Formats: sequence, structure tokens, C-alpha cells
Amino acid sequence: MTKNERIQHFLLLSSFIVLVITGFALKFPEAWWVRMLSAAIGENAFEARGLVHRIASVVMIAASLYHLYYVSFTPRGRQLIKDFFPAKSDVSDFKNAMKYLIGRSDDRPLYGRFSYIEKMEYWAVVWGTVIMGATGFVLWFKDFFFGVVGNVGMDIATAIHYYEAILASLAIVVWHFYFVFLNPDVRPMNKAWLSGFLTREEMEHEHPLELQKLAGEIPDKKENIKS
Amino acid sequence: MTIIIRYSAVACTVLFIGFLFLAVTENTSVSFVDSDEDCYACHEDKDLTADRDGKKVSMFIDKKKADASAHGGVECRDCHINYNPDDIPHTKSPAKVDCQSCHDDLKGIQQSVHAKVECAGCHKPHEIKTVKQMKESGNDECYDCHNRKGVKQFTNSIHDKNGVKCEDCHKAGHGIVKVNKSNEQAVCGKCHSKSKMALANSVHSTAMSQTGGRGPTCTDCHGSHAILSSKISIESEGCLKCHLNEKMFPGEEKGSAKFVSRYKTSVHASITKNDVEAAGCVDCHGDHMVHEADNPQASTLRARQMETCGKCHSDVVSKFRRSKHGQELANGNKDAPTCTDCHGEHDIKSTFSANELSKINLVDKCLNCHKDGKITHKTYLGEEELITGYKESEHYKALQEGNLNAPTCSDCHGAHEMENAASVDSKLSKRNLAKTCGQANCHGKELDEYVGSIHETGITIKGNYDSPTCNDCHGNHVISKKDIDDKLEKSKGVIRMCSNCHASLEIIERNDLPTKIFESYKESFHGLATRGGMQEAANCESCHGNHNIRPSTDSLSTVFKSNLPQTCGNCHPGATQAFFTTKIHIEDARKDSPFVYVVTVFYITLIIGLIGFMLLHNILDYRRKIQLKKSDGI
Repeated sequence: MTKNERIQHFLLLSSFIVLVITGFALKFPEAWWVRMLSAAIGENAFEARGLVHRIASVVMIAASLYHLYYVSFTPRGRQLIKDFFPAKSDVSDFKNAMKYLIGRSDDRPLYGRFSYIEKMEYWAVVWGTVIMGATGFVLWFKDFFFGVVGNVGMDIATAIHYYEAILASLAIVVWHFYFVFLNPDVRPMNKAWLSGFLTREEMEHEHPLELQKLAGEIPDKKENIKS
Repeated sequence: MTIIIRYSAVACTVLFIGFLFLAVTENTSVSFVDSDEDCYACHEDKDLTADRDGKKVSMFIDKKKADASAHGGVECRDCHINYNPDDIPHTKSPAKVDCQSCHDDLKGIQQSVHAKVECAGCHKPHEIKTVKQMKESGNDECYDCHNRKGVKQFTNSIHDKNGVKCEDCHKAGHGIVKVNKSNEQAVCGKCHSKSKMALANSVHSTAMSQTGGRGPTCTDCHGSHAILSSKISIESEGCLKCHLNEKMFPGEEKGSAKFVSRYKTSVHASITKNDVEAAGCVDCHGDHMVHEADNPQASTLRARQMETCGKCHSDVVSKFRRSKHGQELANGNKDAPTCTDCHGEHDIKSTFSANELSKINLVDKCLNCHKDGKITHKTYLGEEELITGYKESEHYKALQEGNLNAPTCSDCHGAHEMENAASVDSKLSKRNLAKTCGQANCHGKELDEYVGSIHETGITIKGNYDSPTCNDCHGNHVISKKDIDDKLEKSKGVIRMCSNCHASLEIIERNDLPTKIFESYKESFHGLATRGGMQEAANCESCHGNHNIRPSTDSLSTVFKSNLPQTCGNCHPGATQAFFTTKIHIEDARKDSPFVYVVTVFYITLIIGLIGFMLLHNILDYRRKIQLKKSDGI
């Protein structure tokens, strides 16, 4: 990961976390952590919550728009999106992975730059950002959209925004955090999002095909390889 | 009677003549006169005079009158004995005419006040009148001597006008008596027997016996000869003569002169009716049978005040009788208030001038008894604590600031008609309360809004007492202003208040109300924002209004479909184009808002499916990786 990508990831994760906190703080005003936060912030906690939620959303949308530019117009970005696109191999990888996971086979599929897991996560983020951005925008400019979509439209936007938030948060916690933090291979944490690097060992283990591809270009002696 | 007198007169005359005859024959006295003619020979002369102690005195005797008098048959010498017609004057020391030589049976004259009065003082010597004539001449005979001013006033008295004579009180004939404290009651009682009896039972009579006869009796109040028509002569002044005397009635307690003197400034004394006090002492205390206030027979006894005051104030008393206060009083409840408890006794004032009853002081007067828990409130348990809460209300604050339009206890509860709120006629009953609060000068505007609202028609048309009226939302005594500064607190207060009913299963069920009003609000942005502490989020009132709450099917309702853009526009100025296709308070999502329902079902399925898959994937992955590590380790 280049510095640029790490900054993109950082902007995404920080805005995401802020959005999750400030969003669920609205929905569950009596939860202990919400009350603690409100007490810490003081009188206008609720109004501040709304403001911070909007600022974070702007950060996330800005980062997303930059990412769109990045994958459209920079060579490394274009390669990135190419690598993220689902391929036929993903279907067979998935089948084989399932077999391996349930113990039908001892052969672990060999992944390229991105496994089907990582591709799913990426596209989930894309999907989530679009949905949340769109519905959030409607709710933000409610007075205008009320006239466009009526109360039923507002109610639908509210429902989508809420359930999508739950889905996204759970996906991050359940899947992403597992792979980054809990997974026995990387415990306590995969530091790639900070350092930008995977070790050769890690590469061999997780992305052997990519390693082979890179090995064709880069001398064997180099210990750390850019993923 | 006259026959007896006449008979005795004849008998006397016969005896007299007999006696004379004896006298003459026995020769104990000698008369030189043969007949009256000898006497009249000189005494018929009108110019005949004699010298008495240097004064010329007429010696003329009118024979006609003398013959016509009661002594018509009596001869001169019968009275004038030892007269020698040749001697002029007839004797040097004329013997006094001794009436008793004939009239020796004059009963009681010696004991009477006239014992020392000569017969001639009343009876003109040569024109003696018959008893009948004496009667006819009436009081004039008395006035000849009794010409003091006091006695003369009798001619103006009601007694004189009604033909009462001196003798009716002082007795007739020779047994004239003085009338004084000791016999007054008996004398007056001859005619005024009822009054006499009444007086005998009165506190005045008790005073009489306790002071050894110095207590007041008839004339002390009525006067003696100058007695006027009953009422005027004794009105207040008669009573106050004694009762304002601080020596007779010392101290400041009830019954003292000081206590009574407050009457002078009372409304009863300062307003006049037909030139006398509007109400004098006797109007309240009664006349002859006046009693101390705690005597069971006293007209001023607590329990009998309704009757006594009602003589003049019948309209208010009839209201009071029907009131809870009046009923309790009639049932013998000693703590129940009566007229004087609120209005005072002698110092009674009109409500406009009375300090006691001024709007602000009335509160303390009522709270005297209605303090927390002192009188158990029968309909609202725990309510009594709120009564003192009135002092924290806006109503009381306004009074303190001098706003005399602000209501005190009686403005809402009624003064005399004070009734339990549970009573249908009460000003505070469910049906009447709105009218009471909305009376002129008070909350008329709010009443206008309230009339026609679903809450109002619920009560007046459907007779549903679950439906709220003023106090259900505003409270009873501790009525506070709703425009408090803290908008959030106000908002939460409104929501709490509405949810008292609209989130109460019992009330919702009984009245077939929508079941999820409160829940759906709680989960809406407005509800979440309020829960989260937003200052200006919409509460019930923001959309539904307050007094004028109507169902969404009513075209006057703020939540009627075509009125919604305007209602929402109050807070969301850009939302005037807003349109509504589904319910706002969704009861059943599948029916009320199918799109939202579909979205919800879709997402819940998605979440369960995806996250379930992820969890499973994690578990399997973890297991595999641990297996791998172990085998690597070996």
C-alpha cells in the first residue's frame, strides 16, 4: 500500500467509525455509551452529534470521490480496480475454499493479489458508501426532498439508512476485524494498513500467486514486498 | 263594675246620712247652715274673693257644675263642717275637708306613690268626677302634675297613638304604682306577654339575675314614656348604649365592647336602608330572646347562621346550603365553615372592601382548613398536597403582582356554591370546568379553541370522562405557565403528559385509541431527537396543536392532509411542498407503509444471511488455521 492508499484507508476508517458512533447515538439515545458521550460533551451534545455526523460523511464522500478519481486516472489505481474486479477464478477459489474450510479438501486455494474475501469486502464498501451517501443526502436535505419523495420516500430512506448501517457495521466488525485482528495468522494485528507492507512469509501464505508475479520482476533477496 | 261602684256610692251616701243623723242627734258637732242655698247666696257670686296668705282667691262656686258632679247630692255642710255663715271668714281655722270621713275604704292609697298627694290634687273639689268621667278625661289629670319633659314625650309615643293610658302601666284609681326594673317585666308583660317570655329566656335575663337586678330590662332598651315604634326606638343604639361601654364589657374577647365596636365600620352599619342600618343588632341577634353565640338557641349559633343570615341573604345562603360546606354544617360537622368563619362577625365587610375576603387573603382563609392532608380529598387521593401548591401557581403569582383578574379559590370553586368536583353541578366538574376556566376575562380564547376539539366533544357529546379537560393537562392547583424557557424540558413535559393517556394500555383499550402513537413517535426522528436532548425537536403539540386537537379526518385539524404542509412548514420552512401518502404514526407497517415494510424485510434477511455466513466463515477459517498451526508446529 502506498502512502496515498494508506491515507485513503485512514480517511475511510476514521470517518466510518465517527459515522457509526454518531449515527447509532441518534438511534439509541438511552444507551450507556451515548449518555456518557452526551454528558461529556454537554448541553448541545445532540446538535454536535448531527454536525459531526455530517462532517464525517463529507470526509467519507470526499475520500470516495478521490478514490473514484484514483482508480480512474492513476496507473496504480487503475491496476488496483482491475485487480479488484471479480474474475472467474474467484468462483472456483470460493468453491475450493469452502471445501477446504469444511474439511473436504486439504488444498487451500492459492490467491492472487486479492482473495474473494477481500473483493467482497471492497465491493461491499463501494455498495455501502453509495447507498448510505444517497440516503444520507436525502435525509440531510429533508426539507427539499420531502417535496420530491414525500413522506413515504423519507420513511424508506430512513429505513434503508438504518439497516444498511447495521449491515455495514456488522460486516466490518465480524469479517474485516476478524481478518485484521483475530485471525490466528496475524494476531494481534495485521500491520499492513499502517506500514504498507506484508512480509514474504505472509505473502507466501496469503497471496502466493501475487508473490510469484512480483518475483518475476523483483529480485528474490528483497525481504519485504509491496502488496 | 260601674253598677258596683254606683251601688257602693249609694251605700256610702246612706251610711253618710245615717252618720250625720247620729252626729246631729248626739250633738258632737254643730252646724249652723240649714241648706246649700245659704251658702250659694254668697258663693254664687263670681266676684267673691277672700284673702289667703295675702293673696286674693276666688270663692266662686259654680253651682251648676257642682250639682252635675259626682257630689251632686251632697250638701256643702256634709264636707264643710263647723262653718258659721255669720262669721266672715267662716272660721278662724277652718277644718280641712276630710274626704275619708266618707271615703274610708280607699284601697291602697296609703301604699301608693300618691299617698301624700291630697285628694284635691287629682279631684277638683266642687267638680268631683265620676269614675267614668275620670277615665274619659284620661291622662290629662296626670299631666297636671307630671309635666316633666320625659313624661310629656308619651304623647308622641306609640303607646299614646294606640290608646294606651297612664293607668295601663301605673294602675288606675288610688293604687298608683311606680314602674321600675323590679316590676317592669310584669307591667309590660301584661300586654307584651310573648316578649316577656322571650326576655325571660334571654341572656339579658341571666344577666339580670347574676347582677342582682342591674341587668337590662324593657325600658333600658325601649325607653319609658318616649317609646317609639318598636324597631326604630331600639335599633342598635339601644343595644350599643351598654355594649360599647368598656367598663361593662372589658377586654378584647368575643362579647367585649371592643369586639362589638367593630360593627360600626361593618358593611351592615355603613350601608343604610330606609335611613337605618342595613342590618342592626336585632336583625342578627334577635330581640327579646337574645342569647350568647354558643347558646344552642342563639340565632348566631354556627349551625343556625344559615337561617339567620338567610333572612336577608337568601340567594347566597340557598347556594351555600347545597354546597359541601353547607351540607357538612347541616350534618353537625363542627369543623364545617359557616357564614362568620369567612365573613367575620361584627366587622363583616363586603367582598369588595374586606381584607379578609380580598382575593389574596382568601387563599390563606381556605388553606387554614384545606392544608395538606387536613381534610381528606375524597375524589383524588394525594390531591390535597396539591392544594397548597396553588401558592406556586401562576394564578397566585399574578395575584401577588396585583392582577385582580387572577383567580383565587372562589373564582374556580365558587364562593357559596362550592362543591365537590365530582358533583355534576360543580363548576369544576368534567363538563363544566372548561367553562369555568374560560369565563370572561380569563381563558376565553383557549375555550374557543378547545370547543369542538376531539377532547371536548369526547366529554360533551360522548360523555366520555376519560377525555381530558383543562386540569387533566394543566393540573389543578399548581397550574404553571407552559412557556418555560427550557424548550427540551417543556417538550418532554408535553410528551409525558400526552402519553399519560395515549400510551396507557388501559385507556387505549377502553377508548379504542390508536395503539402505537407513542411508540412510533419515540422511534421517529422527532422522538429520537427529543430523547437525545435536541432543544427544538417537534413534540405532540408541535403538530397537533394544544387546545384545538382534532382528528386527522377533520378539515380543521392541523394534521388534516391538506393542512400538513403548513403545519410541517412551521418548523421546516422548505417543506411546504411536502406531500403525504402514508400514515405518520404507523400502526402496522405492512398495511400502513408497504414500501418501508419491504425494505425492512429485505434488509433483515440480508443481515441475517450475510452476517451469518461471515460468522460461519470465520469459525471455519479459525478452526482450519489452528489445525494448520498445530501440524506446522509438529
